Amino acid sequence: MVTQKEKKSCGQVVEEWKEFVWNPRTHQFMGRTGTSWAFILLFYFVFYGFLTAMFTLTMWVMLQTVSDHTPKYQDRLATPGLMIRPKTENLDVVVNVSDAESWGQHVQKLNKFLEPYNDSVQAQKNDVCRPGRYYEQPDNGVLNYPKRACQFNRTQLGDCSGLGDPTHYGYSTGQPCVFIKMNRVINFYAGANQSMNVTCVGKREEDAENLGSFVMFPAHGNIDLMYFPYYGKKFHVNYTQPLVAVKFLNVTPNVEVNVECRINAVNIATDDERDKFAGRVAFKLRINKT
Amino acid sequence: MGQKTPQIYSVELNGAKDMKQTDKGDDKDKYRGLWSTCLELRKNHHKEHVTKEIDLDDHKLSNKELENKYHTNIVTGLSSTQAAELLARDGPNALSPPQETPEIIKFLKQMVGGFSILLWVGAILCWIAYGIQFSNDKSSSLDNVYLGTVLALVVILTGIFAYYQEAKSTNIMASFSKMIPQQALVIRDSEKKIIPAEQLVVGDIVEIKGGDQIPADIRLLFAQGCKVDNSSLTGESEPQPRSCEFTHDNPLETKNIGFYSTTCLEVSISPVGTATGMVINTGDRTIIGHIASLASGVGNEKTPIATEIEHFVHIVAGVAISIGVLFFIIAVSMKYRVLDSIIFLIGIIVANVPEGLLATVTVTLSLTAKRMAKKNCLVKNLEAVETLGSTSIICSDKTGTLTQNRMTVAHLWFDNQIFMADTSEDHFKQTFDQSSGTWASLSKIITLCNRAEFRPGQERVPIMKRVVVGDASETALLKFSEVVLGDVMEIRKRNHKVAEIPFNSTNKFQLSIHKTDDPTDKRFLMVMKGAPEKILEKCSTIMVNGQEQPLDQSTAEAFYTAYMELGGLGERVLGFCHLYLSADEFPETYSFDVDAMNFPMSNLCFVGLLSMIDPPRSTVPDAITKCRSAGIKVIMVTGDHPITAKAIAKSVGIISANSETVEDIAKRLNIAVEQVNKQDAKAVVVTGMELKDMSEDQLDEVLTSYPEIVFARTSPQQKLIIVEGCQRQDAVVAVTGDGVNDSPALKKADIGIAMGIAGSDAAKNAADMVLLDDNFASIVTGVEEGRLIFDNLKKTIAYTLTKNIAELCPFLIYIIVGVPLPLGTITILFIDLGTDIVPSIALAYEKAESDIMNRKPRHKKKDRLVNKPLAVYSYLHIGLMQSLGAFLVYFTVYAQEGFRPSTLINLRVEWEKDFVNNLEDSYGQEWTRYQRKYLEWTGYTAFFIGIMIQQIADLIIRKTRKNSIFQQGLFRNKVIWVGIASQIIIALILSYGLGSITALNFTMLRPQYWFVAVPHAFLIWVYDEVRKLFIRLYPGSWWDKNMYY
Repeated sequence: MVTQKEKKSCGQVVEEWKEFVWNPRTHQFMGRTGTSWAFILLFYFVFYGFLTAMFTLTMWVMLQTVSDHTPKYQDRLATPGLMIRPKTENLDVVVNVSDAESWGQHVQKLNKFLEPYNDSVQAQKNDVCRPGRYYEQPDNGVLNYPKRACQFNRTQLGDCSGLGDPTHYGYSTGQPCVFIKMNRVINFYAGANQSMNVTCVGKREEDAENLGSFVMFPAHGNIDLMYFPYYGKKFHVNYTQPLVAVKFLNVTPNVEVNVECRINAVNIATDDERDKFAGRVAFKLRINKT
Repeated sequence: MGQKTPQIYSVELNGAKDMKQTDKGDDKDKYRGLWSTCLELRKNHHKEHVTKEIDLDDHKLSNKELENKYHTNIVTGLSSTQAAELLARDGPNALSPPQETPEIIKFLKQMVGGFSILLWVGAILCWIAYGIQFSNDKSSSLDNVYLGTVLALVVILTGIFAYYQEAKSTNIMASFSKMIPQQALVIRDSEKKIIPAEQLVVGDIVEIKGGDQIPADIRLLFAQGCKVDNSSLTGESEPQPRSCEFTHDNPLETKNIGFYSTTCLEVSISPVGTATGMVINTGDRTIIGHIASLASGVGNEKTPIATEIEHFVHIVAGVAISIGVLFFIIAVSMKYRVLDSIIFLIGIIVANVPEGLLATVTVTLSLTAKRMAKKNCLVKNLEAVETLGSTSIICSDKTGTLTQNRMTVAHLWFDNQIFMADTSEDHFKQTFDQSSGTWASLSKIITLCNRAEFRPGQERVPIMKRVVVGDASETALLKFSEVVLGDVMEIRKRNHKVAEIPFNSTNKFQLSIHKTDDPTDKRFLMVMKGAPEKILEKCSTIMVNGQEQPLDQSTAEAFYTAYMELGGLGERVLGFCHLYLSADEFPETYSFDVDAMNFPMSNLCFVGLLSMIDPPRSTVPDAITKCRSAGIKVIMVTGDHPITAKAIAKSVGIISANSETVEDIAKRLNIAVEQVNKQDAKAVVVTGMELKDMSEDQLDEVLTSYPEIVFARTSPQQKLIIVEGCQRQDAVVAVTGDGVNDSPALKKADIGIAMGIAGSDAAKNAADMVLLDDNFASIVTGVEEGRLIFDNLKKTIAYTLTKNIAELCPFLIYIIVGVPLPLGTITILFIDLGTDIVPSIALAYEKAESDIMNRKPRHKKKDRLVNKPLAVYSYLHIGLMQSLGAFLVYFTVYAQEGFRPSTLINLRVEWEKDFVNNLEDSYGQEWTRYQRKYLEWTGYTAFFIGIMIQQIADLIIRKTRKNSIFQQGLFRNKVIWVGIASQIIIALILSYGLGSITALNFTMLRPQYWFVAVPHAFLIWVYDEVRKLFIRLYPGSWWDKNMYY
């Protein structure tokens, strides 16, 4: 009636384990004999080899359905997002005017970012296009490759070009430049043949007050149609993304200012509830002065 | 001859009374058995009570002594104040419910059992992760809180479900309390009062009428012609006489004690019509109270399926924890933040735990339970459904289970010939030769010398089913003659009865005198039946072919041969004789005086013999054969006489036709029993007496060395010993029983089977299963269902485990390779608790692959539900193939949206940064965070659909483990298709119904992505067909051993 639990002593357990690892009687290693191990390893070798081959084959077949130049679907990218430069953690542009190191990294990043926009580079690689209209390069049955890109010269950014600028894009004086760029989307005709521009505002009323005045380069924050459409990394080898630079002239110091910039274009909606970066960008600006 | 007669069932018109007389000794032991088992068990459980219980000597005391002992007065009863004091001291006269685990504990147990604890860990980790995130960044997303809540909800819901299922199975004590009589007539303060029986105290004087339940253990003070039905206590079906005399030392045997909850059948009307007794024990201290606590004390053995599921949970939990911890370490050493690593850990746990499986198993079991209920097996404890399937020994009752539980005429002997009567359940025609004159006479005796009568108003009921007033033998004869001759009542009316001597045990005959229905014949006809040898003594002639012949030596010998033969069949034999009284001596006006016996009692004419048996149910032999081919040993355990037991055992096949007992061999070889080589005997009949003297080892030896065993003359208590003996052989034991005293054995058995018709409530409560038709054959269908469900559960589990790998791989790849997360945790829950539920239940409807009744019962410890091949094949073969298929869909979606596989590698960190809103894809396009998130959800949906499509293939291959799908038939199990439809519909709803709001991280998926995994699904099916083909081609080979689960 009383249930007798079989309690194994510690030694027995060790003994059992030993026997499991190597059983001298049956010549079993981990419960299998040599032949059995050979069989099972061979089997898995063949089986997994086959599976790998099969998977590779199907992946290859799948990749055949995908073109090298344009993605098959772009439904997710109907509205291009906006982004700022310098790129910072959490999109906070903090400038301690007195602390050169704090903005030095921004400046370095910008220098690097703007390098391809140098007029010399642009002149060497890209075409001068007619402003105000799309620069279309259709294939017409034959692959038109590589496609040419239009020049966007660094000088167009005026005070924010950073060329021969002792203020380092205004960072050293507390009048920083922030660059707005629109995400590249292949074959997207931004603006639908009408001119478009970027505007920035303070997010709330107090932000607007604290923001003060700013100037935009190119003037009015215009983005020209000639930079569209984009034909993709592979075709559009030297494509230069148009930029809009915003120079904040008198931001109230020591206050965090929420800035929102958006693009005003006919075919770009900027009111997506879920995607806070569709056609707009929000960032924080803080100038610390002592 | 003289030596043999005790073995033969001598004439017995009043049922088993002779058994009582010849085996008084046994009975004593039977009760002693009850006491000793009872005490022994109580010793283990409630040691402190032992001494108090033994000294019951109230039956030995005189009335006066009793009055003194209990401070009461037989005439006036207790005073109300005394009664109140005693009530306060002893508590109410009711059985205390067993120390039940409180409902809340039971509920909480469900909450932490199985996988729940893992999921709780997951949920708590989620909350902790959120806590850490929140402390770092107040605006952190609530995703982890939601996930934690969802996990907790899953646990709570499945817990509630399991709790509800468990609560449905009834409680053993429930019917004990139902048995308590509601009211009792008690004398207190010299007044008769009706009080609730619960308020009775020791010393109360109670009055009992016929039909009452006895309200407590009472010592009878005044009783006349009182009979009680102790069947619920001892299993004796015969009414037991009760009087106020002290007749036996054993309190259970003496006639002056009435037991709590037994029924008082009758009390002589004169002079008062009631029996008076003094309450000597109340509530838990009564005998029934002891048994009740005994039954609840016998531990319910853990069901085999519970063990299997525990084993399975251990395997899965082991895999989950080891992979989880391994990857936690890997993640940490790959410089992931600890917080992220914790979240990975949660994902791995969720992916590994088949959340829906335990609920599915419960549903599957209850479906089978329902199916079994239709076949007259009512399953009380869901897990018992499977237990029956792994049963290797059935200890079966004889009466009612193997037999029809009604005496039926089996053989006749007249004209020196034995005729066979039809004993099947629905016989309505007897086919033996009825032309002989002897038969005419015999049939007349059978009809007339019989006091049994049909209850009126049953003309439309088939004869065999009509209710009869009268004892078993007379009923058999009445029905027999009704079938053969037609309206018996009419015949009796025509042959008016003028005198009658009913049967009594001293005379051992029954006699009646009739006027004949022949108006020309003025003679009286005296008919007589009784013990054959007694009847023969009174005869000088014998009727052969309708002619009276002198009874000489040779005819007498013929008589004895026939008598022996019929007796040897275990049948109850009756002799019949008659005499026409001469009209001269006994004129029509003659007044017969049965006391003075003023009629001849010798020189009668012997007509014939008739033997009766409680015949086996016609379905039983077949069922026993099935059991045998299914490797189940059937042991008969009966209180009946060994000869009868053996005869029935032979006729149903428990002892097969060509096997012999030691005694049989001795008889055949004409040598002494001791000289027989015991190994030659395949069968054995063990009596209760022998069993009592056996040690455990001897019993074990009997149980192992004989394949065919009959225990006869056993007390119900010995059943417990037999069950324990069988369990020592590592067998899964099923036991049938009906009496209250069977309940410990029923509880002790792996599966207790109570009789639905004959069973007492206590037995039904102690049992795991109730046979609604008391038919042994129903057990066999139950076994079949049980085996099927075991097979099908294997399939269900294999099906469910497979996709766990497909759910797990995304996490591993995500951690190691750094691709965007292919499958979200919530999405996993939608597979486990959504698309996979109906299909896994559908597998329960799968038909057996081969004759499951042709293989041995599974070995409790070797044939596991989840064995190594099952786990390996599900995880490392099909699961892996599934993952590859699902990854293909995932990569397709990403590639076609712009992220080629090569770009995805190590993209994880950038991909998940919230402020990176210009992530470049393979084509130079830039993506905002939300655009990526949406794509990630599309990836989840794609992976989900990939798994779902391949689970359809998985479902189809799981239909069989060995046979080709085409052998099994694709369309035989329609429910599978319902399952497939449900998968697709749920997926459609998730993707297209909810996709537009993305609340659950599902998005609308392009229709073509639904078909990307189809080739992989097809491959899974082909691969499994190949596996099965090799298993069929090379049974026992390396392949078979490693690939057959």
